Amino acid sequence: MSSDMNSLFAAFQDHINVEQELREEIRQVNKDIDQKTREIQTSLQIIHQDGGLSKIPECCVQARKLFLDVKTGFSKLAAIVPGDQYYRFHDHWRFSAQRLAFLASLIVYLEEGKMAMIDEVAEMIGVTTKREEGFHIDLEDYLMGLLQLASELARFAVNSVTNGDYKRPLHVSQFVAELNSGFRLLNLKNDGLRKRFDALKYDVKKIEEIVYDLSIRGLKSEEKSEPPSTST
Amino acid sequence: MSHRDGQSGRGRRGGGGQRQWRPNVGERGKQVIEGLDENSPVIQSFRKFALELDTKHDRYERIVKHSRDITIESKRIIFLLHSIDSESKRETVLTEAQNRINQLNSTIFKEIAIELKGQDSYQYLRSFSAGLQEYIEAVTFLFYLRDGKLPHWDEIQQNIVYDEEKVHLDPVEYFLGVGDLTGELMRCCIQSLGTGSTKSCYEACSFVRDIYIGFISVSSPGHREFSRKLFVLRQSLSKMEMACYTLAVRGNEIPKHMLADVFSSSEVHDAHDEGFCVD
Repeated sequence: MSSDMNSLFAAFQDHINVEQELREEIRQVNKDIDQKTREIQTSLQIIHQDGGLSKIPECCVQARKLFLDVKTGFSKLAAIVPGDQYYRFHDHWRFSAQRLAFLASLIVYLEEGKMAMIDEVAEMIGVTTKREEGFHIDLEDYLMGLLQLASELARFAVNSVTNGDYKRPLHVSQFVAELNSGFRLLNLKNDGLRKRFDALKYDVKKIEEIVYDLSIRGLKSEEKSEPPSTST
Repeated sequence: MSHRDGQSGRGRRGGGGQRQWRPNVGERGKQVIEGLDENSPVIQSFRKFALELDTKHDRYERIVKHSRDITIESKRIIFLLHSIDSESKRETVLTEAQNRINQLNSTIFKEIAIELKGQDSYQYLRSFSAGLQEYIEAVTFLFYLRDGKLPHWDEIQQNIVYDEEKVHLDPVEYFLGVGDLTGELMRCCIQSLGTGSTKSCYEACSFVRDIYIGFISVSSPGHREFSRKLFVLRQSLSKMEMACYTLAVRGNEIPKHMLADVFSSSEVHDAHDEGFCVD
C-alpha cells in the first residue's frame, strides 16, 4: 500500500476514533437518562390502578422530582455535543426525548387538564425549544410525545371507568379530539411521525366508544358537553 | 372513520323522526371539532408547528433537487472521463472535466450552502448525500487519472467553502464516494484492455487493491452503507484481478484488442451496476 493511501486511511481512522469516543460518552449519559425515564414512567402507572386516581397529585410531585435528574442528564448531553452537530448524534437520545415529552405532557395533563406547550416540556427536560438557542427538543420528538400521550390517555379513560370515575373519559375525549384536530393542521411527510399519527384515530375511537358506553347506560354525568338535540 | 359514523347516526335519527337522540360513536368527536375554538392555545400552537415543519420540509426538498442536479452532472463528468482512450485526447478531456467540476462548485454547491446557512448540516445530510457521493466519485476519478492518487477530503472540502457558508463534507461521505469510484476504475481497467494499454490495467488494479486494504483496515464507522460499499468493492477488485490474470496468462497468446472481448463477454451480466450510465 502506498504511503499516501496509508496516511489517508490513518487520518480516516483517527476521525472514526474521535467520533466513536464521543458516541460512547453520549451513550453513557443517555443510559442514565433512559433509566430515569423508565422510573418516571413506572411511577406514573399508578393512575391506572385501583384507587390510584386519588393519588395523582402526589404521584405528579414524585415524577417531577425525578425529572430533575433528567435535567442533569440533558445538561451533560448539551455539554458534550458540539453546538452545530445536534442532528449528527440525535439518534442516540431521540427515543428518550420522545418518551420524556410524553411523560412531561402526561404530568401537565394530570395536574392541569391541558396540553403541555412545547416550552413547558422543554423546561421540564432542561432544554430549549429552538436550535439556535442551544440544546433543544426537536419539534417532531415533542409531537411524537403528544401522540404517545393520546394512547396513554385512552388507557387511562378505560381504567378510570373501571375505577369508578365516569367524568374523566369525557374530559379525555375532549382533550384528544382537540389534539387530533391540531395534528390535522400539519402537513406530515411520509415519515415516522405520519405513521404514528395514523394510529391516533384508534385512540380517538377507543375513547369515543367509552363515552358511548357511558352515555347509553346513563352513566354519563350530564353537567357538561351536553349533546345539542336532547329535546324532541 | 368518525365522519362516516357520524353520518349514519344522523341518518337514523332522521328516519326515526321523534325518537330520542342517541349518542353515536364518532358523533362526539364531530361535535368537539365543530365547536372547536380556533383561537385555543392548542390550535394556535399547532399552526405554528405546521409552519415550522413546512419550512423544514421545503428546505429539504429544495436541497434534494439540487442534489439530483449534482448527481446528473457528476455522472456526465464520469462518462466524459471514461472517453479518454488516447494520450492525445487526455489533456483536453481532463481540462474539460475540471472546468465542469469548478462549474458545479460555483453554482449548485453554492446554492446548497446558502440553504444550509445557519442550519445544522447533519439535519439535512440525507437530502444531499447522494449527490455529494456522486460528486466525490467524479472528483476522485479525475484526481486518479491526473495524479494517480486519492486526494485528502480537505482538498475537496475547500472547494465547497464560500464566504460565510459551506457544504460540510463528512469524511464518511467521502469514503462512501471513494467506494463508488472503485466501480469506475474497474470499468476503466477493463476498457484499457481493449485499447491494449496493459500498464494502466495493472495500475488501476493495484490502486483499487490499496483502497480495499484501506477499507478493511479501518474499523467500521457504524454506517450501514459502509459495509455494503465494501462488499461491492470486493467484487470489483476480484474482477480486476481476474482481468490482470487473463492478461498475464493469455496476453502473449492472442492479439491485445481481443483480450477485451474475452473479458467483456463475462461482463454482460452486471450491466445493472449503478454509476456508469448517462441519463
